[in-house]
Amino acid sequence: MRAERVFGLVWLAVSAAMAWVALDLKAPISYEPVGPRAVPLLYAGLMAACALTLVLRPHAVAFHWPHGKVVHHIVVSAGLLLGYAFAFEWLGFPLATALLALLLGRVFGGSWRTCASGGVAMGIVLYLFFDRLLDVVLPLGLLQPLFGG
Amino acid sequence: MTPTLPLRASVIGGLLLALGAAGAVAAPEKPECIAPAKPGGGFDITCKLAQSGLQESKLIGAPMRVTYMPGGIGAVAYNAIVAQRPADPNALVAFSSGSLLNLAIGKFGQYTASDVRWVASVGTDYGVIAVRADSPLKTLKDLVAALQKDPASVAFGAGGTVGSQDWMKTALVARLAGVNHQGMRYVAFEGGGEAFTALLGGHVQVYSGDVGELAPQIEAGKVHVLAVLADERLPGRLGTLPTAKEQGFELSWPIVRGFYVGPKVSDADYQWWVQTFDKLTADPGFAKLREQRELQPFTKSGAALDAYVKEAVARYAALAREFDLVK
Amino acid sequence: MDTLNYLLQGFGVAFTPLNLALAFAGAFIGTIVGLLPGLGPINGVAILMPIAFAMGLPPESALILLAAVYMGCEYGGRISSILINVPGDAGAIMTAIDGYPMARKGLAGVALSISAWSSFVGGVVATIGLVLFAPLLANWALAFGPAEYFALMVFAIACLGGMVSDRPVKTLLAVLIGLSLACVGVDSNSGVYRFTFNDVHLADGVQFIVVVIGFFSISEILLMLEESSIGQSIIKTTGRKLFNRQEMKETNPSTLASSIGGFFIGVLPGAGATISSAIAYMVTKRVYDKDGSFGKGDIRGVSAPEAANNASATGSFVPMLCLGVPGSGTTTVMMGALALYNITPGPMLFQNQPEIVWGLIASLFVGNVVLLVLNIPLVGFFAKMLTVPNATLVPGIAAASAVGVYSVHATTFDLVLSVAFGVLGYLLRKLQFPMSSLILGFALGDMIEQNLRRALSLSNGEVGILWHSPVSLTLWIGAVAMLVGPPLLRRLRRGRAALAVG
Repeated sequence: MRAERVFGLVWLAVSAAMAWVALDLKAPISYEPVGPRAVPLLYAGLMAACALTLVLRPHAVAFHWPHGKVVHHIVVSAGLLLGYAFAFEWLGFPLATALLALLLGRVFGGSWRTCASGGVAMGIVLYLFFDRLLDVVLPLGLLQPLFGG
Repeated sequence: MTPTLPLRASVIGGLLLALGAAGAVAAPEKPECIAPAKPGGGFDITCKLAQSGLQESKLIGAPMRVTYMPGGIGAVAYNAIVAQRPADPNALVAFSSGSLLNLAIGKFGQYTASDVRWVASVGTDYGVIAVRADSPLKTLKDLVAALQKDPASVAFGAGGTVGSQDWMKTALVARLAGVNHQGMRYVAFEGGGEAFTALLGGHVQVYSGDVGELAPQIEAGKVHVLAVLADERLPGRLGTLPTAKEQGFELSWPIVRGFYVGPKVSDADYQWWVQTFDKLTADPGFAKLREQRELQPFTKSGAALDAYVKEAVARYAALAREFDLVK
Repeated sequence: MDTLNYLLQGFGVAFTPLNLALAFAGAFIGTIVGLLPGLGPINGVAILMPIAFAMGLPPESALILLAAVYMGCEYGGRISSILINVPGDAGAIMTAIDGYPMARKGLAGVALSISAWSSFVGGVVATIGLVLFAPLLANWALAFGPAEYFALMVFAIACLGGMVSDRPVKTLLAVLIGLSLACVGVDSNSGVYRFTFNDVHLADGVQFIVVVIGFFSISEILLMLEESSIGQSIIKTTGRKLFNRQEMKETNPSTLASSIGGFFIGVLPGAGATISSAIAYMVTKRVYDKDGSFGKGDIRGVSAPEAANNASATGSFVPMLCLGVPGSGTTTVMMGALALYNITPGPMLFQNQPEIVWGLIASLFVGNVVLLVLNIPLVGFFAKMLTVPNATLVPGIAAASAVGVYSVHATTFDLVLSVAFGVLGYLLRKLQFPMSSLILGFALGDMIEQNLRRALSLSNGEVGILWHSPVSLTLWIGAVAMLVGPPLLRRLRRGRAALAVG
């Protein structure tokens, strides 16, 4: 089956789900001729129409599923980024960033040594740069007790 | 010590502190004021007021940082504090009557007003109903009369959605006129600035907002204030503006601004904040800072504020039911 | 000749050594902050204002610093667009469409320098506009009610018609995905929470930066894994650094036109950089794209949106100075900073404190010159960033992106959401959906829907309000012309050519 057709089917389901949720949108008090429901329903309908076009008349796209090692890399990287998101507050920015730089750097072909040193440097330098210099408050996480407060 | 009854616990804690331990509590090392909105708005002003006040009066050692956590007029920050940082004595969060209103209609998720410890208020703003300077409406009576004649003849513009404070004010005006608030015309804009521009451009006829943010425009003579929603006339240069009350309408809408901390902050730390704010708000230098930010005095702290907040939340919840916002 | 006098006075103030040094410092910090995705003038101002206070700077010096930071951020936003395909701010979305392909061709330096130049032109043209027309334009801003804004959006969307790629249905679907994402959160008319699934983190909707980082930055990282370049840098040669005379000549007309257009759109509160850069890009593409070079690294596709972006940033000073209404999120912050100096922007400012207004305008001129002088030598430095090996560069981009996301809400939720968007974005890009259409749909979605509904509430449901005023009627005609004009012209031209041959 063509990739566009698969996507079209998935997106039909997404549009249907959106419409289903949108049907429930009602304002407790409405002054408007057009309420909060109409526009999302319109979008969902148009999306469904687009998705249907893709299902019925899929074009061949220059689409190659990556295979072998690359799939592995992509799954691992997405997992790492997700893990980073969750670890951001818990481990704190410096630790989480150092770990991410080490592991993601490895996926991108860096050596253990450069990735490890780069990671440590990045965790510290970026933390100081953003938190201290640019005033973007970043979590210290597990390191919190070490730095007081 | 987990204060399941924050009010009683705090009173007891306060007494204990007063009995001798007061000097033992150190100031938080990394004080942080969380403004639950994007920079530039009212919450930011509240935090900046505390920041500059505390710094100038030297009540805290380390400078206080202001951080931003926007979302649902304080809902995101409320949830973050209760769930993730309940015992952090450094984190002070700004709130306003708008937060309390959303808390009352259940837009803060599962939490209620008893889930945090209310520290102190630092000032208040008041609602305002205004029109363009050349409008045929000159007084609140004119507006009420116009609404009685045809509720749909006047388009209100404001920066808040249906159910927000700005909307509540217009619904209350409709109630004064004895017309159903569902019959009026209300257009919500993205923030007071846009609503005000629409007023000047003649796209809406009446503006509902806060007097503080309108002050420069009032001075410039661009708008005509129908009523300030305060019980008494404001002090100073805004004293020329008529209140709703003096025009014979029982309509008052203060927008109180203040701070709370997490539910598991120790009594000692909580009391430290309360006392610090007591000292701060008593400082004449602070009054000047407050005035600069177009806020009027409104000073409550500790148990008194806690009682006020709970009373306000109950009042808003009753209003919301009356106006069919909640079932 | 009061105006000229004041302006000269303003320049006199701006040219003192201290103030020049401040302008340089502000411009530099602004550029750096602006290029980091998610960070903008807000952060720049936040860093510098306390310092300005501590140094006891007089108001006019503080103003110069502020103006330099503000303009610096506008200049900086384009850098990450061009180098790593991640727009630093909403105004830089369009810059990525041709800027990034240019960088991949080894022309990063040229793209950076031409965009610095066009930013300069845009900034200066708009500042001149500010001098000449500011008070007059306040009325133009007031003429825009909900109906007029809606017509402007329709015009912008009609311009987007030019983005239609080989598969129009995909462009349309991408725009619709963006529009649907914009529906999430509290509905600003009715107060109903839409698609939030009772999660407070979605109460304010999906943040712009979360969408940008997801669909651009994270999906880009995943795509990079497929390329053979693993273990190397993205681009080996950075080529020449400066644009040449031929390229400048090529861009001149569109840069100038985009500057003027961008200024007028920037004057409208709330419209701003996104719309003006989108319209500038599309119109330029419509006029000049004869051989399909746009989207593949056409230099005019870089200069036009950048000129418009900067011009509109300056234009947004008009509502702030004349009406006391912030024209954009960043001017809100500026107003806050000015308030600390007891300067209240608004209708009285021109009368009561003209020296402040003209000082600000003079500092905008100075800031633009400083930025040009600063940015041209920096081109080499930034282009060098691309030679950093991927094993270091990619985690760095990921970390900086995460900081950008975290800086808005400070929640894990947003970080996770952006990764989810990243995976979706990867799949969409594999299927050749245009990401820039998606993001524009998202950026414009709220304004389209809310203004339509506001207009209809004002008219009590009578549809005529949408085209009754001269302004909106003109915009509708423009929209139709944008849709119908180009194909018609093409046919005419072809017809004439056939005649000539015959």
